[in-house]
Amino acid sequence: MDSKRNEFDVIIIGGGITGAGAARDCAMRGLRVLLVERHDIATGATGRNHGLLHSGARYAVTDRESATECIEENMILRRIAAHCVDETDGLFITLPEDDLSYQARFIESCLAAGIAAEAIDPKDAIRMEPSVNPSLIGAVKVPDGSVDPFRLCAANMLDAKLHGAKVLLYHEVVSFIREGDTILGIEALDHATGLKSKYYASITVNAAGIWGHGIAALAGVNVGMFPAKGSLLIFAHRINSMVINRCRKPANADILVPGDTVCVIGTTSTKIPFEECDGVKVTPDEVDLLISEGAKLAPAIATTRILRAYAGVRPLVSADNDPSGRNISRGIVCLDHEERDGLKGFVTITGGKLMTYRLMDEIVTDTVCRKLGVDKKCTTADEPLPGSEEKSYEQVAKSIWTVPTTVQKASASRMGTRAAEIDLRSNKEQALICECEEVSLGEINAAIDSMEVTNLVDLRRRTRVGMGTCQGELCGCRAAGLLAKATGCTRKAREDLCSFMTERWKGNLPIAWGETLREGEYTQWVYNHVLGL
Amino acid sequence: MKFDVAIIGGGLAGLTAGLSLQKRGLSTVIISAGQNAMHFSSGAFELLSRTPDGMPVDSPLEDIPLLPGDHPYSKIGLPRLTALIDQVPQLFASAGIKLQGHALRNSFRITPTGTLKRAWLALEDVALLPTVETSVGRKVLLVNLAGYPDFFTSFIAEGLEARGSSVRICSLKLPEMETLRTSPSEMRSVNIARVMDTAWKSVVDGVKLHLRGEDTVILPQVFGLKDESVLSLVRGSIPANVLFVGTMPPSVPGIRAQMKQKAAYENAGGTTLMGDTAVSAVLDGGRVVSLRTRNLGDHPVEAGQFILATGGFFSKGLSSTPSRVYETLFSLDVDYDADRNNWYAYDFFTPQPYLDFGVKTDNSFRAVRDGEAIENLRVIGSILGGAHSFKLGCGGGVAILSALAVAEDLSNELK
Amino acid sequence: MTLQEYTASAHNFEECMKCTVCTAYCPVVPVNPLYPGPKQAGPDGERLRLKDPFFFSETLKYCLNCKRCEVACPSDVKVADIIQAARIKYSTSKPKLRDMMLASTDFMGSLARPFAPIVNGVLSLGVTKAVLDGFMEVDRHRKFPKYSFRGFEGWFKRKAASSQAAFEKKVAYFHGCYVNYNFPTLGQDFVKVMNALGYGVELLKDEKCCGVAMIANGMSDKARKNAVSNVQALSEAVSRGLKVLTSSSTCTFTMRDEYPELLGVDNSAVRDSIILATRFIFEELENGVKLEFKPDFKARIAYHTPCHLEKLGWGVFSKGVLKKIPGVELIPLDSACCGIAGTYGFKKENYEASQAIGKPLFDQIEAVAPDFVACDCETCKWQIEMSTPYKVLNPISVLAAALA
Repeated sequence: MDSKRNEFDVIIIGGGITGAGAARDCAMRGLRVLLVERHDIATGATGRNHGLLHSGARYAVTDRESATECIEENMILRRIAAHCVDETDGLFITLPEDDLSYQARFIESCLAAGIAAEAIDPKDAIRMEPSVNPSLIGAVKVPDGSVDPFRLCAANMLDAKLHGAKVLLYHEVVSFIREGDTILGIEALDHATGLKSKYYASITVNAAGIWGHGIAALAGVNVGMFPAKGSLLIFAHRINSMVINRCRKPANADILVPGDTVCVIGTTSTKIPFEECDGVKVTPDEVDLLISEGAKLAPAIATTRILRAYAGVRPLVSADNDPSGRNISRGIVCLDHEERDGLKGFVTITGGKLMTYRLMDEIVTDTVCRKLGVDKKCTTADEPLPGSEEKSYEQVAKSIWTVPTTVQKASASRMGTRAAEIDLRSNKEQALICECEEVSLGEINAAIDSMEVTNLVDLRRRTRVGMGTCQGELCGCRAAGLLAKATGCTRKAREDLCSFMTERWKGNLPIAWGETLREGEYTQWVYNHVLGL
Repeated sequence: MKFDVAIIGGGLAGLTAGLSLQKRGLSTVIISAGQNAMHFSSGAFELLSRTPDGMPVDSPLEDIPLLPGDHPYSKIGLPRLTALIDQVPQLFASAGIKLQGHALRNSFRITPTGTLKRAWLALEDVALLPTVETSVGRKVLLVNLAGYPDFFTSFIAEGLEARGSSVRICSLKLPEMETLRTSPSEMRSVNIARVMDTAWKSVVDGVKLHLRGEDTVILPQVFGLKDESVLSLVRGSIPANVLFVGTMPPSVPGIRAQMKQKAAYENAGGTTLMGDTAVSAVLDGGRVVSLRTRNLGDHPVEAGQFILATGGFFSKGLSSTPSRVYETLFSLDVDYDADRNNWYAYDFFTPQPYLDFGVKTDNSFRAVRDGEAIENLRVIGSILGGAHSFKLGCGGGVAILSALAVAEDLSNELK
Repeated sequence: MTLQEYTASAHNFEECMKCTVCTAYCPVVPVNPLYPGPKQAGPDGERLRLKDPFFFSETLKYCLNCKRCEVACPSDVKVADIIQAARIKYSTSKPKLRDMMLASTDFMGSLARPFAPIVNGVLSLGVTKAVLDGFMEVDRHRKFPKYSFRGFEGWFKRKAASSQAAFEKKVAYFHGCYVNYNFPTLGQDFVKVMNALGYGVELLKDEKCCGVAMIANGMSDKARKNAVSNVQALSEAVSRGLKVLTSSSTCTFTMRDEYPELLGVDNSAVRDSIILATRFIFEELENGVKLEFKPDFKARIAYHTPCHLEKLGWGVFSKGVLKKIPGVELIPLDSACCGIAGTYGFKKENYEASQAIGKPLFDQIEAVAPDFVACDCETCKWQIEMSTPYKVLNPISVLAAALA
């Protein structure tokens, strides 16, 4: 084995937003980086949350420090991740059953945390956001927004690679290479080939989210975590154009976030055993709770078609034997296992949230650099991510194509300035593969060529193919054909298509009634009967 | 408006019943909420493809006795079912629809993903093999049209190669298609078929240029939307055996068959209320008296007999909410599981329990409400309970044969 | 849980199952590749426009609003309504002078009518057509409907109103711009038929153009004003127990369905009383009222169902009435758009598409070779008369001609 090829300064375990952001930060500071992920990017909690660009207001009363972090990161993401962010603004509404006196305390806490919270007349709130529950008795406007976590994760990963990082997807860490009290590297199983390989680095960073518990155990240390399952529902279109929250202490199903063509209500919170973290299912009780609580935010929820249900597991840190407890109070937990457990070359970054991923990564990269003796400043808050060099995608589209077609507009809205890199001039390239989300042949080919797509689900994460109301019925087969062409393996493409349709159905099944069941029957008819799969 | 029989639903079942009744001299109306499921059909009808145990069926008539008593075939009874089966090709031929295949042995349709699926009858431009061993051809030229995303050549090629054919794929770039390609979303089978009414000659020329001694040429089903003459022109001009394999919906053969069936029905004197929906029914003394439709408002549709052929969930014969499944127009008794958890199977490709839900009827297909049969309301087609049409592969047969059985009964009763 | 009991009413576009049947029946898709197609322009586009109005495309103007997608849709998606509503909401292109002139059927009619002989002559001159074509972008191939020197309303007041009082039973008549300015004969036929059925005719206190052409030409504000005024006039008649009959399928459809769906004008108090005359006559005849017909009336009639009548679902009444005339051989044509779509076909940029859309219908008519064509829409009449050698009569006029 060519040992040089397998030697790095830092190995990052986990292809979620934390891992991707850490890879970017480390690579931008000149380190030789390897990122390993056992599945695809954003398959854990990163891809399974609201996609809320928190203003921090939600934490203002209960956790000032988190609130301050949120608003700072919120403003940074608007700058560096424009093509992933939708600056929708948000409302915190008070309903007749809520205590209106909480509002004053809420605004005061927001302002103290640096969050521009402004009480507005309920009538104005209805005018600004017509979907809001009209019986509201109070409203506060805050700088919430939405962020596309897949796009954000992919952009970080891409930038890491542009700065020289190596990324291995579908590579699972099976053991650590250890010498005495030092971690020298990892052994990873390549799921595509079934082969194991060894990779060496001075520092290994555990950024595996809730699965970080198991990674730590593999390294022989304990990170006490609290797997909290949260379930969410996706509605088939944007009911609201502003984020709607309840102005009270955080509870179940009290945030409705508009994101891309849909909106999302969540969440619930239930502690689950570690062994259930893979393949969490949404229960009918959770669905019912989300709908009934959600309808209090926006009554249209009671009559709007639900597209999918999904659940994620938050990597909360339950307790730690770090006597200071400092890390816990901040939400973000960075554990130098050399200090904490006497295990050299191993660092865990966990806790936190999507919003603060960049800060988490700055903290862990600082730690890594300190340990490696590298003195380089973090620049991730200043350098825009690839695609985010221009703020408005409308401008992007117009600057590339002058009079953009709908297909071109859609590409610009998803890819930002990177849309200029794909060929969307000809009829051939503009032909739609996914009609619901307006994803063209050109965009799909670009993803297959340059974004490490191994299957249809990966393709979906990068392009939104199959994320529209037909849930893959029209586009699944077309996209499978393209993938078969690219990989040259039709048998695999056929199996992949079947698992893609099952993956789509898995999210439909908890909410399959009304129009969604109709669509289900139609899709069954097409795939099982007509296509004969 | 007054008719002998009012049929709710203009799908395969409703149109078959309507045509059969008109031919027997009865006056009928069909209320059709939009175009029917033939638009998404495979172009083939299944009679019985699997036994209740999941075993493949080769001779449907031999295995029909294995079906449980509440299956529509069992309600009709084998001797009568056999007689009705014999009428089918004739009835379709009278509407100008040629069918291949027969009920004694299942044939095999080449699907758009290159697999084989059992079929009873198929429209003439459906590639149908008489047995599972039949070779498609030693050397096959598989032809697509450049820019058409809904014909899956690599899947078909793989399927054929696994069965011993050597397959070469070619893509024809036709100038006639360039205008259509300007629209990113409209390269669909029906739009191409319209172009092919005149552009078929270029396809033939293109195929001839690509032929290198292949004995078989496979084309997508995008020819002959309005009439099938283009099919024979294409077949007659290519010096090889020409087969047509399906695409993603809409189905060109299906639409053609539906249009012919509807025209035959109207030529036989039938009335169609297209794009209309029955919204309520007036009952008196256990009999249906009239229907109200959305378009006709307070103008009632009156009839002596009524047929419910409104289809399953997609066609809105059945509706569902988080807590129940119900029949949409009459609130008939529906056979379903009250617990939502039991509606679904986790794997998309295993039989889904919800697809088996349907309306309860007596042995003459009279609809049942609150346990009592409604005397002059029959139920036919995919809304029928007990059919298990996805699991058993019998949807087409149930639609056509329940329609014919009910039409026969009604005309006997009314005469 | 009682929530989520019904998820279709509020957001009709979500009923779309992406089956693409609408595309198969859209008359524009085969002839104009710039049009995104009904599914893409309608329910698919709507989700994108809700994300960001930036996704609105002006190519939606190529939609004819013929509603054939809605008739074909197995999911009851109001595809054309979604498209037209999006145009009203998002379009930033201003109607051209030409569009305003074509759309203002009543204004233009009242200007032209007193000078009808001159206007008709001028409009048929080659030089005028060249000017219209070049400067106004009205296609030179178009024959303009002739303006009538004496309008229908004037005729009615002078010649008919007094005799109508003698009838015990009454109906109100919404005659529409076409009857008033271009073709009073149809209105006269209507009065004749109603009188024969035993009904006297009243006109509305104040009838305005139904507004269909204004909606199509981006003048929804003006259309809304007319709608509000018409609903008021209709209410006055309906409150006196009158049914308001019409002879134009498009006016009928517009007042019944486009007012609430596109213009947001509440017509619930009058909607069910706005009835196409053939439906009323069909019901009268079905209820046993007898008409006396000429013994020697003979006609071989090809019947064309106009798009908006297809959408109303009332073609069955017009055909039913014609079938009840002794001596009529009725040949119903395959229901298809004639391509004119009101003012659409008059525009130079649409002329070719318009004729291509209508071609299958024209071919069918020529193959049938009837004595004449019957149809309930005035713009279909212009289109068919221009594009085939056959005359087109409203079923009311056919009935009037057949009466003894």
